[in-house]
Amino acid sequence: MTNVAEGALDRARWLYENRGLRAKELAAQGKQVVGYLCCYTPAEFMTALDLVPYRIQGGVGKPLKQADQHLETIMCPYVRSCFDLAMGGEYDFLSGVVIPHTCDAMHRIYDIWKYHMKPPYSHCITVPHMTHRASFEYFQKELEDFQHSLERFVGRSASEEDLVRAIGLHNRCRALLRELYELRKQEPPLISGTEITRVLVAGMTIPVQEFNDLLEDIIAEVRGRKPSSDGRHRLLVVGSEVDDVAMIRLVEDCGASVVMDDLCTGSRSFWEDVDHAKGAVSGLAARYLGGITCPCTYREGKVPERFSYLGDYVRDWSIQGALLYAIRYCDTYQLDAPEIKGYLESLGLPVLYLEDDYIMPPLGQWKTRIEAFLETIEAGKEE
Amino acid sequence: MAQEAKEKTSSRKSTESAGKIRTVVKRMYQQAQQAKEEKRKVAYCMVMCNYEEILEAMDIVQVYTENYAGLCAVKRQAEPYMEKARAEGYSDLLCGYAQVGIGFDALRHELGEMPPDAPDGGMPEPDMLLGCSMGCDPRWKWFQALGRYKDTPIYNIDVLMPPSDADMEAIKEHSVRYMAEELRGLIAFLEEQTGTKMDYDRLMAIVRQVEETRWWWREAYELRRAIPCPMSTQDHFVLFVPHHMMLTDSFTLDFYKGLYQELKERVDNGIGVIDDEKYRLLWGVGLPPWHTMSILDYFLNFGAVFAAETAYMVPESFEIPPDVTDPVQLIAERAFERNSALQWRGQQAGGVPPLAQAHLERIEDFSIDGVVMHITRSCRASTMGQILVRNVIREHYPKMPVMFMESDIVDLGTYSEAETKNRIDTFMEMVGAYKGSAG
Ligand code: SF4
Ligand code: SF4
Repeated sequence: MTNVAEGALDRARWLYENRGLRAKELAAQGKQVVGYLCCYTPAEFMTALDLVPYRIQGGVGKPLKQADQHLETIMCPYVRSCFDLAMGGEYDFLSGVVIPHTCDAMHRIYDIWKYHMKPPYSHCITVPHMTHRASFEYFQKELEDFQHSLERFVGRSASEEDLVRAIGLHNRCRALLRELYELRKQEPPLISGTEITRVLVAGMTIPVQEFNDLLEDIIAEVRGRKPSSDGRHRLLVVGSEVDDVAMIRLVEDCGASVVMDDLCTGSRSFWEDVDHAKGAVSGLAARYLGGITCPCTYREGKVPERFSYLGDYVRDWSIQGALLYAIRYCDTYQLDAPEIKGYLESLGLPVLYLEDDYIMPPLGQWKTRIEAFLETIEAGKEE
Repeated sequence: MAQEAKEKTSSRKSTESAGKIRTVVKRMYQQAQQAKEEKRKVAYCMVMCNYEEILEAMDIVQVYTENYAGLCAVKRQAEPYMEKARAEGYSDLLCGYAQVGIGFDALRHELGEMPPDAPDGGMPEPDMLLGCSMGCDPRWKWFQALGRYKDTPIYNIDVLMPPSDADMEAIKEHSVRYMAEELRGLIAFLEEQTGTKMDYDRLMAIVRQVEETRWWWREAYELRRAIPCPMSTQDHFVLFVPHHMMLTDSFTLDFYKGLYQELKERVDNGIGVIDDEKYRLLWGVGLPPWHTMSILDYFLNFGAVFAAETAYMVPESFEIPPDVTDPVQLIAERAFERNSALQWRGQQAGGVPPLAQAHLERIEDFSIDGVVMHITRSCRASTMGQILVRNVIREHYPKMPVMFMESDIVDLGTYSEAETKNRIDTFMEMVGAYKGSAG
């Protein structure tokens, strides 16, 4: 029996700090846990087949032990970190791995992971980069192929009802997360950015049904809070993978509140629901290709349209400043970063650009920059 | 001054064909500029997007931005453009070609005219931007980023690379259908931009010519199996230019026929790159160090010739099926066949990753004694997976020496001549020992 603390947020924190323990426990009980990278992997297929989807994470603050012997140093450090943990045995409890080809690093790590880790099951999902009508048709076929490959692995098939049930569970999860994010709109927010990060990461490591139960308890707990305003600046964080609290906690320790995000590990992974009215797989293809605002998918249009959803966040969450967080060697983010920055600035927001090597974030140097940044916001407010 | 730099940095070529390329490239940019003046439509393009024939059939002038960035690097004139890109907020870790290209267009936008001293007169202002997802992410995101500097219409297409372990039979139908739809979408876009309709008969004729061109290039390439090797990688790194940048030109067909004749003659007469060829090397994956191509010549001092490479590979052979009459369908099928060939052969070989498979095949076919790979700091696509390739090579050839050279396609700041030469010295010692023990 897992040793967990009483409160729901404490439980999330425990899951966050003891990542993988619950999944390992389930694996020990005979459940098959399938690891995946990136928010483009439709976890619904795993849930429908009674597999436990587990989002593979890296280890911020953990220097690489073995990965450098196998991965070039110019490769995405987040991916290198995930692989290093896998090489060190951290993910030995996984029965398989699913990696979507979303960016160059994801594409290349698939063969490398397979070669060194030899997982019992592995699958690469080709995700189109375009969003033409034909791209969705193609992606639906790719997802059918993914479903069949999982079915072969477990030796049984998933019916339409199984898929619809799984979609229902994951949509419920998304709705609960959005509800939780609503509680960040208030001034002051009812839950901090640091706490939210722990909740999100915890959720990636447990079955969706368990996460839904936990989220219901968390929402009830958070709603009961009655904080008084302390005038902290309200920030939006935009970027890719943030599966550790280090950066956000630093920002909050410096005196601001992170109240909204556009991150692969945050809102981007749950903002849109799956609509299965026209069939489960077609709904999944539409949602995963069309409903995730990642720079690795091309969307037509120029700057105001492309990033207008960020404008909505800024308005609805009363944002006063933005952090743009890019992982080094990530071409897709770095090609968008100046435009995102320009767009946010056009809304009158100060923007702080943080380029990170993910593995060892330069927290000391950032602290100085963040403090100066918060002063800029303050000065802007006083003007 | 520029002349001096050029003499120092370019590499030694062994064929007459290679000697023609410099003029060809110059002419290519001149013609593009002239076409622009004549109000013909000019498109910024990326190599290997499978749309070359379509553009030609619609009389669109193709300008390859990656090649232009490479040209700036060869002439050591990339720096101001990279600096401009960085001033515009782009990371210095971004793809080097993209840095140069974005910097060039940002500068032109700021000046309101062609940047002065742009190599070969510069790239003409495009009427459309046509990227694709073949090979890497920057090859379509870069054009999206140019939206900051121009309102030029953009059309990006997917050209997919099946996963290494995909069941090719299972995915073929929908993959080919998607490719064909992507091409049809592009054709509709081009028809709208040009106001003219695609002539499918003309397209078919162009496809046939292109396959003939490729056949000759492949035949010529195969001649490099000969000992001594009639032509080296130094030549290959300019000889690929007509294929990648002027594929549909009738000049290109004649050019590769000419290359074939030239190499055939050399082989028949036993003429190699050097008189005493001791070792044969493979230039493995990794784009070339354009800023200092002369470093490849350093290997010649040891009697080592680069007999093959896996960069800018000659396309796989492809027979045009007699029953396919729709050229778009044909291009789509061809793209799938080519983009899945290494995966398929890797699967047949017991699960060899495709990138490694390409190396193993060349090691065998071209009697290779050692492999050099170039860790190209700013090109993730051609660098990631090099260590995996080395590991697989070791499995098959436990003692085969593999060397990693480190620098960049463009950025000189990453390159140390002394250190590179040291590494080559050590590597060549190992190649000598390996060959000695094998022989
Ligand atoms: S951070 Fe960038 S390079 Fe790394 S996995 Fe995400 S999209 Fe890919
Ligand atoms: S990342 Fe490499 S392959 Fe892609 S555009 Fe840049 S140089 Fe070319």
